[in-house]
Amino acid sequence: MIELYHSEPNIYYLKPLIALKEVRAPFTSRYFDPTSFEQYSPSFPQSAESTLNLEREGPLLVDGVTVLSSSFFILEYIAEAFPAASLYPADPYERYRTRAWGQFIALQLAPAVCALGCARYLAPALKSRDAQQLKARLERIEPQERRSAWMAVIDGTYDDGVLAAVRERLQMPVKRIEDALGNSSWLAGGQYSVADIDAFAMLAPLPDLAPQVVSAAATPRIMQFLSRMRERPAVQQALGLARTAHPQEAFVPGAEPSRWG
Amino acid sequence: MLTLYHWEPNANSGKPMLALAEKGVEYQSHYLDLLNFDQHKPEYLRINPDGTIPAMVHEGKVLTESTPMMEYVDETFDGPPLRPTDPKERWRMRWWMRFFDAYFAPSLSMIGWSIFVGPAVRSRDRAELEAAIERIPLEARRVAWRKAMFNQFSDSELAESRRRVAFATVALEQHLTTYPWVAGSSFSLADINGFNLGYALPLSQPERCNDEKTPHIMEWLRKIYERPATQATWKKGRTAMAQRVTVLQRKPQEPT
Repeated sequence: MIELYHSEPNIYYLKPLIALKEVRAPFTSRYFDPTSFEQYSPSFPQSAESTLNLEREGPLLVDGVTVLSSSFFILEYIAEAFPAASLYPADPYERYRTRAWGQFIALQLAPAVCALGCARYLAPALKSRDAQQLKARLERIEPQERRSAWMAVIDGTYDDGVLAAVRERLQMPVKRIEDALGNSSWLAGGQYSVADIDAFAMLAPLPDLAPQVVSAAATPRIMQFLSRMRERPAVQQALGLARTAHPQEAFVPGAEPSRWG
Repeated sequence: MLTLYHWEPNANSGKPMLALAEKGVEYQSHYLDLLNFDQHKPEYLRINPDGTIPAMVHEGKVLTESTPMMEYVDETFDGPPLRPTDPKERWRMRWWMRFFDAYFAPSLSMIGWSIFVGPAVRSRDRAELEAAIERIPLEARRVAWRKAMFNQFSDSELAESRRRVAFATVALEQHLTTYPWVAGSSFSLADINGFNLGYALPLSQPERCNDEKTPHIMEWLRKIYERPATQATWKKGRTAMAQRVTVLQRKPQEPT
């Protein structure tokens, strides 16, 4: 039996929830609160990969003794382990495009989405906590890249100038997705795939977080894509697993942006 | 019809070159000189508007991302399989390729660009270099080239890159104490990826990657070096860069 360690159905955590519903695979939900730092506790499932992971806050899929991390590769695992649901396109070039989108979204889009979400929602939530206790907990986070990512949420890193630069960084990936959706209904081509699940999870927060970049006027095809996705029963079931009133406000620091600028 | 646009057998260019050699697939080779900015010239931008290398054109379809490109090569052409069949090993192959591509390689290449790529072009006319930067399509690549050309990497970012290279080298050594190949039990695209990243580590990071500190990495690199496909691919190199691979040549056993 598959176990899925996840939080609210938003950003990284939403992806495997949708995929497991699409393939109708039974799984045990292991819900956790990443802002209580359970994912860093010794009792949390671990592997060399999960502790080095660039998406260190989860989700994790545990199948037998194997702990799988990195949300797009979890999607590919689900697609390959349950081939009957056809979450990979049949055509090899569309499969190439699926994987290229997974890489592009993880490295170009997700860091900016998470930075905006953390600044808007996670920062105020953390500020309501005991500052000294929180700082002491964050200082124990390893590896240091993740410690820095969490510290940035509370130390004033996300000032107006930085957030303006982050919104600017969204323009290129959003334009590429908008353009791609002009050629076909789904990102990789004619067939729905894990690329669409991946994109939906990271695009869905943007009309709220960056309405000047993603809106009916600026990006009509992305807005239609989001509606198409929300019509899918699997997406509705995944979103229905929320335990808070506002799952779309649940953010964690994402993978870091490229160090090359 | 298969065409590959590439530079030296190294880093991203070397990934599809070595994957195609392992599969035994013939292709039309277009060598682009990275240091002459061939990848930003109009004739290449018509193939890949991003101006990044490598690019592959197969039956009119264009592929520009080197790691997904390797999976395409493996699923499209006959020849020995380069991906495990077990979904868990496939996941491990992909996880490590991302760790190489997004964590290890950018830090290692920042060091390489500061000590090799930058100095190789820096003596040219300043106006010519500025014009070359203007022709680069992607903002992130413009930033990288500007830093390399004009020696603008800060001490702190280079120190952070060295720290990450050290950290990632230890992580890979640990991984290879558990598994003979990166994905697990069989040679795969993750080994091709890792070799292109790491074949020169014993030369560029001799204090961190050597027979005493990282014996498993050294043995893994030597095993890949000895494969016929690797020998054939590194012979395609045109510069001294490709010669570095000979550091992996085993020394004749000394009589005891």
